[in-house]
Amino acid sequence: MKHLTRLSLVLLSALVLSSCGEQKPVLYIFGWDDYFNPDLLERFEEENGCRIQLDIFDSNEAMLAKLKAGATGYDILMPSSYMVKILEREGMIRELDHGKIPNLKNIDPVYLSETAFDKTMRVSVPYMCSPTGIGYVEGKVTDPKPSWTLLETPELKGRITLLNDSRETIGAALKALGYSLNTLNDAEIASARDLVIRWKQNIAKFESDQYNAGIASGEFLICHGYSGDLFQAQELNDKVVIVIPEEGTSIACDDLVIPTAAPSPDLAHAFINFLCEAEVAAANTEYIYYLAPNSAAYELLSDKIKNESAIFIDPVVRGKSEMIDDLGPEGNAKYNVAWDLIKAAAIN
Amino acid sequence: MSNPSPKYSPHRFNRSEWIRTIPSFGWLAFFFAIPTLLILVMSFKSANPYGGFGEGWSLQAWRDMGNPSYPAVTWRTVWLSVVATVICVAMALPVGFLLGKSLPKTRATLLLLIIVPFWTNFLIRVYAWKVLLHPEGYLRQALLSLHLIDERTLLLNHEWAVLLVMVYSYLPFAILPIYAAAEKFDFALLDAARDLGASAIRSFWQIFVPGVQRGLFAALVMVLIPALGSYIIPDLVGGAASEMLGNKIAARLFVDRNWPHAAAVSVLLMAVTLFPVLFAFAQQKKESRPESPRPESAKKGAAPA
Amino acid sequence: MRLISGRHPFAIAAMGVALVFLYLPILVLVLNSFNASRYGSTWEGWTIDWYARLFSSRSQDIWDALSRSLIVATMASAVSMVLGTLAAWVLHRYRTRLQQAHFGLIYLPIVAPDILMGISLAIFFVTLGVERNLMAITVAHITFCISYVTLAVLARLQDFDGSFVDAARDLGASRFQTIVRVVVPLLLPGIMAGGLLAFTLSIDDFVITFFVKGVGSDTLPLKIYGMTKHTKEMPVINALSTLLLTFTFASVWWVQRLTGNRART
Repeated sequence: MKHLTRLSLVLLSALVLSSCGEQKPVLYIFGWDDYFNPDLLERFEEENGCRIQLDIFDSNEAMLAKLKAGATGYDILMPSSYMVKILEREGMIRELDHGKIPNLKNIDPVYLSETAFDKTMRVSVPYMCSPTGIGYVEGKVTDPKPSWTLLETPELKGRITLLNDSRETIGAALKALGYSLNTLNDAEIASARDLVIRWKQNIAKFESDQYNAGIASGEFLICHGYSGDLFQAQELNDKVVIVIPEEGTSIACDDLVIPTAAPSPDLAHAFINFLCEAEVAAANTEYIYYLAPNSAAYELLSDKIKNESAIFIDPVVRGKSEMIDDLGPEGNAKYNVAWDLIKAAAIN
Repeated sequence: MSNPSPKYSPHRFNRSEWIRTIPSFGWLAFFFAIPTLLILVMSFKSANPYGGFGEGWSLQAWRDMGNPSYPAVTWRTVWLSVVATVICVAMALPVGFLLGKSLPKTRATLLLLIIVPFWTNFLIRVYAWKVLLHPEGYLRQALLSLHLIDERTLLLNHEWAVLLVMVYSYLPFAILPIYAAAEKFDFALLDAARDLGASAIRSFWQIFVPGVQRGLFAALVMVLIPALGSYIIPDLVGGAASEMLGNKIAARLFVDRNWPHAAAVSVLLMAVTLFPVLFAFAQQKKESRPESPRPESAKKGAAPA
Repeated sequence: MRLISGRHPFAIAAMGVALVFLYLPILVLVLNSFNASRYGSTWEGWTIDWYARLFSSRSQDIWDALSRSLIVATMASAVSMVLGTLAAWVLHRYRTRLQQAHFGLIYLPIVAPDILMGISLAIFFVTLGVERNLMAITVAHITFCISYVTLAVLARLQDFDGSFVDAARDLGASRFQTIVRVVVPLLLPGIMAGGLLAFTLSIDDFVITFFVKGVGSDTLPLKIYGMTKHTKEMPVINALSTLLLTFTFASVWWVQRLTGNRART
């Protein structure tokens, strides 16, 4: 017993001592997982003599829930564009000091005028955009069409996944039926809901996180997912093919914002400036397979990326695609009700 | 004051007793009892449309309980948990029997062997099952080539996978209480029964099982109640149609960020677990009643409950 | 060599099945820590790459999470050992209605599902506006650990021989001396067993910690959950688990050897 006590005391003191020590300033980021090229983060840490602490959320709602529950120590948040509006309305983010972010000139003006919600980058700077698409394993799907109908392949029942996100999945159905994915029309939402329930008959599960590991390992053969994630799966399994449905899809853009209560706002501005450097944006795009809407970076990209239709989307398809917008409490409620019914629907 | 024999004085206010009770009682009252009651209270708050609790009170969370999925999910939670419990206990009885009959050295080794897997992280073990049950994995390929299943059958993302992993996770909770009771069981009774002509099976069911009934009830409780609250297992290995109440609570809290509604669903779960909990309490009361001195038996360190 | 008294083929078979069942995933995880394949569903060759990666700087956050888990578990088991032993003592000593309520309060956390405890504490901390850091997690862990320690010590108390205490007092020992020199050593196996159980439960706790946690305070199980859902480097976790398992196995075996020759009381 004595030996054990002594040993455990030594162990305990070693642990306590090892966790004290680092006094560098810390930049606290709350963002999506696998969303930065880690070498670039290290470079920022070295250039600015700080440490980056990255916390991960897996959905905008989860991020908001955490913030509302009192998590206040973050310097940088990475919400999707629609969530930026909500955060602003709740007074949780601050106006950006453009003087501290000279690299803003690199941001693609076409993106800002056509797609962005915050066109003057008053409170947010776009970071990465990606379309939602469908990934499938080559050879397992007979006659694959770049269309939402792929999700209804009964031969592959149990090997298909849909995103566990009400707006994305109902949105996909709306697009497949030719409607806007921000519609408030009850009839349109109802038919989209019924379509999703039809899709549901063939899926393994609703999955927003593990589908890329799943499709790479062959657990799933068709996945409704974010193109960036699907590209990462493609890196691991070259049989994965990614298509953007021709009926149009949702384009998600994640932005960088600084909370009002940020502990290190100057460091946060410096970080945003860093990410807007042409070189850094290009490196991130190459790593994540999402597109940084940074025109100075476009020239620096490799041909492989420039020719990839799931990154630089065909303009016709792009014209049919939209960004998911916040619809206010009543609008959101309609989708929530439809989603609840989808989740409750039986699988035959 | 130094004689530690129990004091049977139900009505006298004893200051030193109160002082010694306050630390643990106070802690649990503050961090366990009050929060639990708080769930019920907060389920009557209105929800902030952008997450968390809103201002004021409302019955909306309870009206939302009319959602058609809840009866199905509740029923699934109950039957999956009950079946898992039955299987666990059915496996634990012969195992506990064997442990009771083993010689001390074997018994210690076997116990260690049973406990050791549970020193690996729970998530890792569930994830290992995902690997085992993978559609492209060796197990399924083997079953396919033996023609035991057809091409369309999948081992994962299904209710059966949830059941399997539940049994796996809760098995030791069934084995330990039954073993604890088996250790005190007088196996000579079984020999006597055999001498009187009873078959092995009969003596097992009619002598051994009633003889360890305290352990049996403890096992039932220790498996059923956590099983009802399962969340990780259906989340990782279950499919779209295998949601349990735990998933619903987590989804309401983290995805929908509707805290009052999550609280309401939690109250539903509390109601579902109420019966086994009350049963457990009744059993505990029976057990802790002061009894006549037991025959000397080699008591090891401590096994909880 | 006799291991078991009597012949019980069915029970032995049941034990065999149970052991195979229990070890199947363990085998998978140990093998996969050496499997060159990321996903582990098929074998792609031997490698110790994952172990190398575990000890490289890229896995620093895993070790940070582990040390947080160890710190929380140590504090939680220490506090719950004190509170739990005190509770067991007073439960054993008095049979009043207060103690009946006390026992109920001790017993409930053991039978309550994790998720209920998790959400109740999450709501409680949010309502109080308390910061949800490691301290909050530790408080949550103490809350569920006390009960286990109490029951472990209570079991030990059932065989407690009060005459030792009387003898000590007769020989002139003060109350403090009696407690420290007589009671605690006699109860120590129960206290340690309870503390060990509390430590294990705290290290492995996922659900309660998941609901309670706040910014930047991932314990190891939370880190693992994050990794299983997002990163493709699961085998690193398998490597860590294999190491932890070996370590625990070795410690237990070593402790058994140290205490093996002492007569069991």
